[in-house]
Amino acid sequence: MSNVRTDKKLKGKDLITIGIFSAIYFVINFIFMLCGGIHPIMWMLMPGFIAVFAGIPFMLMVAKVQKTGAVFLMGFITGLIYFATGQFTVVILIFMVISCGLAEISRYVSKYNSFKGNALSYLFFSYGMVGSPLPIWLFKEAFLSQIQEQGMPADYVSAVEALSSNSMLIVLFVAPAIGAVIGIFIGKALFKKHFEKAGIV
Amino acid sequence: METSGKKHRLKLDPRTDILLLILANVVAFTQRSLWVEIAWVVLLLLLIIACGCEKAAGKLTAAFGICLVLQYFIFPNGPKFLAASFTFLVSYARRIFPCLIVGTLILQKTPVRELMVALRKWHIPQSLIIPLSVTVRYFPALKEETGYIRDAMKLRNIRGIQKLECLLIPMMISATTTAEELSAAAVTRGIENPAPKTSMIVMRFGIHDYIFLVIGVVFCVISMMVR
Repeated sequence: MSNVRTDKKLKGKDLITIGIFSAIYFVINFIFMLCGGIHPIMWMLMPGFIAVFAGIPFMLMVAKVQKTGAVFLMGFITGLIYFATGQFTVVILIFMVISCGLAEISRYVSKYNSFKGNALSYLFFSYGMVGSPLPIWLFKEAFLSQIQEQGMPADYVSAVEALSSNSMLIVLFVAPAIGAVIGIFIGKALFKKHFEKAGIV
Repeated sequence: METSGKKHRLKLDPRTDILLLILANVVAFTQRSLWVEIAWVVLLLLLIIACGCEKAAGKLTAAFGICLVLQYFIFPNGPKFLAASFTFLVSYARRIFPCLIVGTLILQKTPVRELMVALRKWHIPQSLIIPLSVTVRYFPALKEETGYIRDAMKLRNIRGIQKLECLLIPMMISATTTAEELSAAAVTRGIENPAPKTSMIVMRFGIHDYIFLVIGVVFCVISMMVR
């Protein structure tokens, strides 16, 4: 693991904190994943929606564990649980690794305790789930025939096909950024309103 | 251990559980034939009945039956909007069904510490095992917590968008306190001791473990062959 080779090692307490906040992050993530089943547009905007709501647990965890590897572990655990529930693809894996890596780098550069650095790191982290709808564009034909074979309704398939234009690809990539910015501001406002008063951060 | 003390049923090695979960995943991804799917689900259901989760098995059987009936009888004949909005959910639920069954088995019959021992035997680093087991263990706690917060919100008559804030903040606060308490408890028990951990739990592959793994592998091969 990449997180053990630094001077600030993760200790038992950090690991437990990461575990708990990963659970909350995963629940938020999963709710929107299910919403993606209603209409393909929800699926394509999913990374954005997740980014809006997952800002609070992420920012809180980052504030609590100011060490290398926290974000990486969070992404890894999310991926692992998704794998266990049978819906993890190679594309998500690649995106997860890249985005968690970038998030760790931006935290490392900003010395872990600057708001801007953590915000940037959250922005990168939000791109982790973009890998879920991305196969629509990467392997369009194969993907469409695959979901048709798996018994998806023709309406859903045709809706996916209609939405798989290049402009939607841009939307897919812009949505997490917007979502992350909103999420960060919600997080910051709530931090001021509640957590700082309660002495949690 | 004390969990399987009273009625001794079939008890699988936690490592078998994890491997079965992975196999269930592979089958879920590769299979294309309805009969292979049904056979695999029935087999797994029999397995968890043998392990002593009759109630859960009953519920899961009912759910699987409903899914099949919906997809093959109601959707083609019923109103169109019904099919359009629910087919995705139903077919998705069907696809992850084997994983769901094995997951139920693990959650109900395998204590987290046994899973930890199993993962440790595979030489997975401690810095991954700890957060992972905490995450898995925290889901039920989170559910319980949400229930309490909901009750409190009902009492105070909180509505609308405020609900979200009133749900998230207590959850975060309780998460931080839990993290603190849990780590205090864990540190006292020597979580930071670098020496290799030992365990009371004896873990050994029995004949039934091998049987089920072989069956799982056979199903994987079948699901890849049958198109």
